[in-house]
Amino acid sequence: MLKRWLTASVLALSLSALAQTQIEFWTYYLSPNFDNYIKSTIADFEKENPTIKVRWVDKQDTMERDLTAAVALGKAPDVVNLWQDSTFAAAQNKILTPITQLVNRNVLNQLYYPNVLDMFVMDGQVYGLPWYGWLDQGVMMYNPDLLQKAGVDVRTIRNTDDLLAASARIKQATGAYGWLPPVKDPNGASFLGRFFLEGLPVYDKDGKAAFNSPAHVALLQKYVDAMKNDVIPQELLRKEAFQLSNELYSQGKAAIVVGAPTTLNRVKEANPDLYAKTRIASAPLGKAGIQTGGAMSLVVPRASKNQSAAIRFALFVTNRTNQVKFANVVPIVSTAAGSENDPGLKAKSNDPLEIGKGMNSASGRLINPGFKPPKNTDDIYKNFNDNVEAAFLGRKTAKQALDDAVAFWNANAK
Amino acid sequence: MKRQALTATLIAYAFLAPALVLMGLFTFYPVFYGSYLGFTDYTVADLASGEGPRWVGLKNLQFVLSDPLFQTGILNSLKYLLVVPLLQIASLAVAVLVNQKLPLMAFFRVGYYIPVVTSISLAAVMWEWIFQKEGFLNWSLQLLNLINAEGRFNWLLNEHTALWAIMLVTFWRGFGYYMVLYLAGLQSIPAELEEAATLDGATAWQRFWLIIVPLMRPTLLLCSLLSTIAAIRVLEEIIVFTGGSGGPLNSTYTALLYVYNKSWGNMLNANFGVAGAAGLLIALVGFALSYINFRLTREERGER
Repeated sequence: MLKRWLTASVLALSLSALAQTQIEFWTYYLSPNFDNYIKSTIADFEKENPTIKVRWVDKQDTMERDLTAAVALGKAPDVVNLWQDSTFAAAQNKILTPITQLVNRNVLNQLYYPNVLDMFVMDGQVYGLPWYGWLDQGVMMYNPDLLQKAGVDVRTIRNTDDLLAASARIKQATGAYGWLPPVKDPNGASFLGRFFLEGLPVYDKDGKAAFNSPAHVALLQKYVDAMKNDVIPQELLRKEAFQLSNELYSQGKAAIVVGAPTTLNRVKEANPDLYAKTRIASAPLGKAGIQTGGAMSLVVPRASKNQSAAIRFALFVTNRTNQVKFANVVPIVSTAAGSENDPGLKAKSNDPLEIGKGMNSASGRLINPGFKPPKNTDDIYKNFNDNVEAAFLGRKTAKQALDDAVAFWNANAK
Repeated sequence: MKRQALTATLIAYAFLAPALVLMGLFTFYPVFYGSYLGFTDYTVADLASGEGPRWVGLKNLQFVLSDPLFQTGILNSLKYLLVVPLLQIASLAVAVLVNQKLPLMAFFRVGYYIPVVTSISLAAVMWEWIFQKEGFLNWSLQLLNLINAEGRFNWLLNEHTALWAIMLVTFWRGFGYYMVLYLAGLQSIPAELEEAATLDGATAWQRFWLIIVPLMRPTLLLCSLLSTIAAIRVLEEIIVFTGGSGGPLNSTYTALLYVYNKSWGNMLNANFGVAGAAGLLIALVGFALSYINFRLTREERGER
């Protein structure tokens, strides 16, 4: 009798264990600010999928390290939030399951904007589901007092050349900087983005680096001159443009910020008066007339033991309903197809942040990822940045810097 | 009797055991395994697919030694060593000063020690402000008529000054620590010796050179060794001030930053073999410098 009872309980226990799959979900820098959103999304998912339990872990600076370590220890998480460069690096190093092995490509094409989905394609396979995105140019936020003092009419700023010209006038008239373009951010190779925005190709038709034509040289020279004349601060060589813009704008030492409207959250905290004054206009674009941007991805490590539950959860988090909800918590750009018509993304008031959100969150179809990073990215981007820096510091001519960078690139891109 | 000695030894080891186990696990094992990796081909791709390291002999060492970036790194790390003598002289001198029985000395001791316990990220905010173009350093130099308004520049953005600027921060951070060690050393010097010398008519300078410095030699050795090793391994300051780029123009790219960027810094592209080989080379430089340190003090001891 006892034996039978024992067998039955063991069986029942193991059945319930089978029925409950636990998956681990890693996000990147989302806690504590977005705890409520993530927790409620997980709760919604668990309600729909009672057999799956989600354990959420928010990783910050150590994300890449912890992921590698967890994979090596055989304790890989099941769904991980990466970004384009890290998705590429992880895919190249065979850490990830191709999403296309879990979900049909045609289904993916319907769920996400193709321009964003394409960011996570390597060698013909999709390696990440697009999650929240952003536009590098986003919107233009400006301090109307500084512009007025310099006699700059915001309607005359239509492209990046106008922005540079306005910046020169603002600097001369007020001592404050105008616009702070990313020229050498520590991660990535920002100046390649400048070429791309001005319609100058990074690669030639054979896929070789080809950014040393006279037009490229002239563009670099334009920014080098701007820095030499202190129209843009030299500090841009050391700090991310995004961070520096934030600091200087809040202090009234920069008049224009081009970027995601979330920037204003910080201004709101640091300088509420300036926040109230701040005006918003659409972002001036380069000659190519495009917005570059990016998106986070959700990936499934090859070492995940619960791949089907993992992909089910990843699809849920990145679906339109949940991305639109997220966009209403913080102005991210939804990457789910059809978001541009979603009623959940219409502006609800005249607050500058609200207007910015409306203009921004529904523009996922405009995200242009730019160009595909080369393989051996770290070394090549480092060399590119070193050369651009040498030009800005006057140690190399713009031509020499670009010639050297192209030569290194073509010799080292595997 | 013999048995008693054995028991005593065993008890001693029992007390040491917890620390030894932890050190074995978290210090010695990583050191040996890291050194071994220096002779193997081992990347994140191998790690992810569960493949072990493959022995490649000296290939990584050759690669690292011929990599211009590593050469720059070693050169900058050696330059960084210049901070050691300055730091030692200054902290010993100040230790002597704050060892006086004068009012407010406790205040000064605490004051000098505060940088040691200040977080580098916090200190960086202050130092960035000091080094910037409109910063305190340029302002002071202008006040002293050493530069004019056109001569101002950002000390962290000039490849000739950036490393020195960061060295100054290391100096500022380490100063209090070594001062406390010297202070402890000074307080162990019997007061009678100095009193006797004073009675014999020795000047303060003579007392310092002929009594304090010789008696402080063990502390001097310890401090210079610690600060030499710290200087050759400098990383925190570089990451905080340059975002890990070692700029401008690699002028602050140190040897350990190379190791960091080949492993932890770009974890998803990490090449543990190359990082291990570079780490091994830095350890060799550290060993050589420590040997020189010991050698110098031993010879001087022999002369006495």
